[in-house]
Amino acid sequence: MRMASTRRSLLLSAAALTATSMLPARAQKTGPVAIGVITPTTGTFAYAGELVARGAALAVEMHGGKILGRDIRLLTRDDEGKPASGVRRVQEAVSSEGMRFFLGAYSSAVGLAESEIAQREKVLQFAAGGSEDFTGSRCGRYTLQWSAHPYTAMRATLDYARKAFPQKKTIYTLTADYVFGQALLKYAKVVAAELGFELIGNDNHPFGERQYTQYLTKVVAAKPDILLLNTAGADAVTAIRQFSSFGDDKTAVVGPWTLEVDQLAELAPEMRTGLILGQNYYPDIDTPANKQFVANYTKKFSAPPGYSAAYAYDAVRAILLAMEAANSTEVADVIKSLEQMSWDGVLGKMSIDPKNHQLVRPYFVVRCKTAADMRNPTDFAEIVATEGKQQPAELNECKQMPAL
Amino acid sequence: MLWLISAQLVNGIAIGLVYAVMSFGLSIIKGLLNVPNFAHGALYALGAYICYAVVSLQLPFAIGLAAAFLGAAVAGLLLDRFAIRPVGNGGYLPQLIVLFGAALIIEQLLLIGWGTVGLSYSPPAMLRGALNLGITVVPRYIAFASVFSALVIVLVWLLIERTKFGAYVRAGIERPETTQALGINVELLLSSGMMLGAGLAGLAGGLALPIVGATSTMGGDMLGIAFVVLVIGGLGSLYGSIAAGILVGVVQSLTTIVAPSASTAIVYVLMIGVLLFRPQGLFGER
Repeated sequence: MRMASTRRSLLLSAAALTATSMLPARAQKTGPVAIGVITPTTGTFAYAGELVARGAALAVEMHGGKILGRDIRLLTRDDEGKPASGVRRVQEAVSSEGMRFFLGAYSSAVGLAESEIAQREKVLQFAAGGSEDFTGSRCGRYTLQWSAHPYTAMRATLDYARKAFPQKKTIYTLTADYVFGQALLKYAKVVAAELGFELIGNDNHPFGERQYTQYLTKVVAAKPDILLLNTAGADAVTAIRQFSSFGDDKTAVVGPWTLEVDQLAELAPEMRTGLILGQNYYPDIDTPANKQFVANYTKKFSAPPGYSAAYAYDAVRAILLAMEAANSTEVADVIKSLEQMSWDGVLGKMSIDPKNHQLVRPYFVVRCKTAADMRNPTDFAEIVATEGKQQPAELNECKQMPAL
Repeated sequence: MLWLISAQLVNGIAIGLVYAVMSFGLSIIKGLLNVPNFAHGALYALGAYICYAVVSLQLPFAIGLAAAFLGAAVAGLLLDRFAIRPVGNGGYLPQLIVLFGAALIIEQLLLIGWGTVGLSYSPPAMLRGALNLGITVVPRYIAFASVFSALVIVLVWLLIERTKFGAYVRAGIERPETTQALGINVELLLSSGMMLGAGLAGLAGGLALPIVGATSTMGGDMLGIAFVVLVIGGLGSLYGSIAAGILVGVVQSLTTIVAPSASTAIVYVLMIGVLLFRPQGLFGER
């Protein structure tokens, strides 16, 4: 009797388990489509998290909140700017919330760690970040890169510097000592050789450094024509702030991927004046999709959008367009659709390179204005160059995209 | 090479003096209240924001610094009255937890008040540009900050060593029970010590504003260094943190000559090294 009861219980349990395990699959086909927004709201890139979430929310709103008749649900999670936290958040959202698509992350180190989960769980990751590994040695079929390739960024910025300062020859680099900074340094060497610049020194600084005068003293001693900042986020803000205190107006400060428009407000106008900065996005970009985006965003949030919001808006919009083109919300179908389509994005005509999943896109160079030239408090700079030279194929380390 | 070493030495001393002001406050609070002030970093951030708020009103930077000191001192008093004392009977751990919580509250309030975007302030015109010292070039503001920090340290030293209040403070640190038995109002003494220590953290924040700007999380970065300086100087030593602050600044700065990316880690290596050979710190007593 005891045995029979146990067997019955076992069979009932097994049946219940089977039924339960089918629920998420059913929910995935009929319930809301969950899109994760895994970004930092604390840590070095804390400023970006809320802005990314705003961009994603606006894209969903502009799409009517539905895709192929199903509601779209955004899942916002804080990755704290740490790879371990990012991986945990993605894993949790995949297993308990049925997330199959996500934006993540803003930091390369976090995004690359999350990329491993994306390949393993077969979920689509639309990343932003400066590491070339996303579309190089660690490329994956489930990861797409929205931001420009470091080569594209470096080439566009130094091309402009070459034209703007034909007499300047020497460059001193200050480099963040992690994948992002090292990728920029690698291409600084490549592009400097292409354009006839001479690299006369480099210092690597730890991520999250708050004291730069010791490096900057070396820079001032070396008397370079250009200080090239291969660093970003709060690190770059602090470095520029402290360099301005030396009052060295002979050395031009150039940042290929240093401060996006979101962070320019962190510097006082006199610290920003004359900076030459590469930009993934700038609100003044003259495309119909961007004008519409800027108008809607400004109306909703009473401030113009920046890189973080533009990335989220454009990436979510691209995913939704791909779902419509494929008439499916299955990850594999959406990826195939993205690999084949071309769309009018905020940056202009955009597409994905199917060989490495790099977004084929232009890059922008701006020159920061003086306080007197600013028409309004967010009129930080003017676009002085637009260029989209892709990484030379022989330098790309993504040898073969795996099958879906 | 000699030029570079001299330059980094000068830079290290300058930065070390700012560390020393911060850690000196921590040392006073640790000595008087016998509690490691986990909210010290948040008070440092509070000082930076208060200073920013004052200079944004077009008031002189000097008033900003004074407000940073006073604002953080008042916050220290509130912490003492409403956070540390109510749990004082519970021992060490509740005080730590309460201070940790207070730090989070201050950080969040700064975040709510000023947002996630960091703030910058350029020093007054007379403190902009660089000074050529022959052996090196130093930004004028860094030179000012180091001289000002040294003056503050001397003033606090005079206050502690040459005034009646200072004598009470020293007695309170070294023999708290005897001090109370002599009829000295130890509660008032503790509150004053907390205000002084917290005020120094706020002043360091205001002083650091033109160098590192203001962000709500800036206290966390500085708190780690302040505790390292305190431990290297010796937990029982009031003035050990001053020498240790300069030492940490110099070692950090010199490290960038040979291994720039190790300049953060070296601070902790230095602390471990000191503790291995002198567990009580450089100036502490067993």
